[in-house]
Amino acid sequence: MGWVTDHAPTEDELSSCIQCGLCLPSCPTFRLTGLETASPRGRLTAMSAVAAGRPVDRRFEEIMGACLQCRACEVVCPSFVPFGRAMEGARAEIAAQTSGVDRRLRRLVTARLLRSRIAVRLGTLAVSIAQLARLDRLAPRRIRRSLAGLRSLRGRPPSIVGRTRTAQGERRGVAAVLAGCVMDAWFGDVHTATVELLTAAGWEVVSPRGQTCCGALAAHDGWADDTRKMASTNMAAFRGVDLVVVNSAGCGAHMKEYDHWVDGGEELATRVVDVNEVVAEAIADGTLPRLSADGGTVAVQDPCHLRHVQRITEQPRAILAAAGLTVVEIDPEGRCCGAAGIYSVLEPEMSRRLGSSKADQVQATGAPLVASANPGCEIQLRTYLSELGHGVRVAHPVEIYWEALQRAERRAAVR
Amino acid sequence: MLIPSCLTVRNHYYHMVVRSLELELRRRLGDEQVASDPLDLYVFGKDAGLVRGEPGLVVFPRSTDEVATIMRLAGRHGVPVVPRGSGTGLAGGAVTTGPHVLLVTTNMNRIGRLDVENRCVWVQPGVINLDLSVHTTPFGLHYAPDPSSQSVCTIGGNVANNSGGPHCLAEGTTVNHVLAMEIVTPDGDIVVVGGPAPDPIGLDVRGLMVGSEGTLGIVTDVLVNLLPNPPASRTILLAFPEVEQAAATVSGIIANGLVPAALEMMDQPMTIAVERFANAGFPTEAAAVLIAEVTGHPSAVDAEAEVVRRLAASHQATVIRIASDEAERERIWLGRKSAFGAIAQMNPDYYLHDTVVPRTRLVEAIKQTYAISKRHGIPMLNVFHAGDGNLHPLMSFDASVPGVMERVEAAGKDLIELCVAIGGSLSGEHGIGLEKRDYMHLVFDEMDLDAQARVREALDPDGKLNPGKIVPQGSRCFDFGQPPPEGAWV
Repeated sequence: MGWVTDHAPTEDELSSCIQCGLCLPSCPTFRLTGLETASPRGRLTAMSAVAAGRPVDRRFEEIMGACLQCRACEVVCPSFVPFGRAMEGARAEIAAQTSGVDRRLRRLVTARLLRSRIAVRLGTLAVSIAQLARLDRLAPRRIRRSLAGLRSLRGRPPSIVGRTRTAQGERRGVAAVLAGCVMDAWFGDVHTATVELLTAAGWEVVSPRGQTCCGALAAHDGWADDTRKMASTNMAAFRGVDLVVVNSAGCGAHMKEYDHWVDGGEELATRVVDVNEVVAEAIADGTLPRLSADGGTVAVQDPCHLRHVQRITEQPRAILAAAGLTVVEIDPEGRCCGAAGIYSVLEPEMSRRLGSSKADQVQATGAPLVASANPGCEIQLRTYLSELGHGVRVAHPVEIYWEALQRAERRAAVR
Repeated sequence: MLIPSCLTVRNHYYHMVVRSLELELRRRLGDEQVASDPLDLYVFGKDAGLVRGEPGLVVFPRSTDEVATIMRLAGRHGVPVVPRGSGTGLAGGAVTTGPHVLLVTTNMNRIGRLDVENRCVWVQPGVINLDLSVHTTPFGLHYAPDPSSQSVCTIGGNVANNSGGPHCLAEGTTVNHVLAMEIVTPDGDIVVVGGPAPDPIGLDVRGLMVGSEGTLGIVTDVLVNLLPNPPASRTILLAFPEVEQAAATVSGIIANGLVPAALEMMDQPMTIAVERFANAGFPTEAAAVLIAEVTGHPSAVDAEAEVVRRLAASHQATVIRIASDEAERERIWLGRKSAFGAIAQMNPDYYLHDTVVPRTRLVEAIKQTYAISKRHGIPMLNVFHAGDGNLHPLMSFDASVPGVMERVEAAGKDLIELCVAIGGSLSGEHGIGLEKRDYMHLVFDEMDLDAQARVREALDPDGKLNPGKIVPQGSRCFDFGQPPPEGAWV
């Protein structure tokens, strides 16, 4: 009965909601189901019921599990309810109070395997063999979908961990790049663009050994002790650098909130930036160039943890415009694409509905290219765009900008 | 207790009846359209107001036929039905008074084919108010009633409460915008009342249904009237060092023959809370902030804005700012419409009141409101539709502190008595529900209440719909005394 851990939603967090209901229309799951129990207000009411002594039972787990943790509700809340924190607390309670094979498996993946570089490498190897031999159709259906959205793992660049690059031009300081778990293994080109752009902008770039997965997926699934360990490991690894640059929106959002988990998290938060912020700033002050328009268009997708948590929307658009592209919007409300970390595997039906409606929106813009600054969203977009049968490319904003710079250089060299 | 009392036996029997109804409904509608887990019942046990009451069963119909099925089955089992939209009501209209069936309309959210020429459209009750206007924007049309909760609240809820909003000053409330509706009666029959003509022949049942808070029938489709978007508008933000000056400006504007689209006032504490969220540039040092909006032909709005500016200046306005673009206008309205949510920054609980006074006695009402606030030690922030004298004092408090709820209730009662005493009314737009049911005798005498109870009895003799709402219990056989005061708006 009631809460048992010290991560539980607090009295203050729950009472800050006055149940006005203004959050309801911003919630993707409320929009799809029309259910109070699938709305932010309903979820907070359910948490209050447990705080008042109800058990953490199967139904509570279902209600909490249906939340995408996209945090669109926080943006529209006039009472500033810290919904994301409360939901992390509720998930931590569920993790502490329930058991079962699926729970153990989820912990193994989000809190253990992602932390281990060897495990991630083995997983990557397995996935790349599956890609080559087209074995993905043997995978369970809920995983098969995500596999379809992966980048090709052939010819990917090596890990950036342990490497150092000196700054070009006037030196601004030391920027450490978070290698991350799947970013380093599967999104090497985004890392390459990040490192190149940072050095060009005057940063000495490092990616210290000893860092680990940011812990966002573990936190969202309620594995509090593991989350804390990962946060502590990264705090130690990133000590002494001027900036911690993150190119995955979900990781950056989580690292900016390390104070939920460990002492001293606030200090690290002052140094964590999303790569879009640094690059846009360098473009604004003229360190990085603005290319003239080349007639191409790009649709921009806002990852929830970039838009709703980090409140970053202008920067990726500025970067894409500097790449010479015309930016088109796909969704003024910035609704979640349904990837939401491991949500796409745990709640495949809801994820599918959101993913395919997002793909429809992209298709409606007619743009041949979509920019997304988060790995989960990228995979989700590619999955559902490929189901529509269109060759729309999905890439990270800084990757698009970096490619445009290289093209411009080559063109200049030819002349 | 060894021998169960009659009450226990009755409750136990009732519980079995509800479970049997649940089985039947699950069979007819499917499991995903029925919820009965204790946690679901808890979550659906409240709207945006203060009253809590858990239903015995929650159902999510998708069509008129399903609503009729639910009414018939529930009627056969003798279990009352209470309709609910998004649950943003503030008077407990969608809160059950017992373990009844809560009928949630949010999945009946289809917007019909837009009749652009006749400017009307059939919409299901679960359609969100703002979604409708967004849907009609490409055709230059909008649905006029715009409650502060318009981004959330449903058309069904608007019809039930005859909802208004800032722009109802010029354009009228819901009743002025509903042409016809399809209703499921308490017996489960489907009828259509009204028609595309603005004046229906025969008794105006359509008019009777609007504002009946789900006590006479369940609305399953509504033919709403749409208005053309105004070609131009000017939104003017005004600030005054004294509340009186703001109120005098309001009276001046109306006296000058202007009917602004909206005329809204906020006092200083409210402005401070709102500005923190909206960053709309509200002057937080002013005692009162006024938002005036004039709409119409481009040349007319500039002339009207000038009249407003001149009047405000003559009443010592310290800030006179006309929104320079649509973004600034939207910011101002976002601020105004998030007012009641923003109050939680101060205290965990709030009680948003809703009363009406004659516009000419606005200043007196505000001063008395402050006095009541002081007397009971409950902070009150004020936001109101100044144009039609609709006051929304917001009490901010922490219900977990012992004795606070009693003080809040006492202050609420004082507010109502004050408004009735100076010739006002119980409710401007939020409805009566449970919250104000027992204050009805302040404005209605025995005969009035008896008449209302008879109307209800004629349409729902067995009390199958939303029992215990609006009309106080015993209205047909009990004397509440107390005639309404002279000049009351009844």
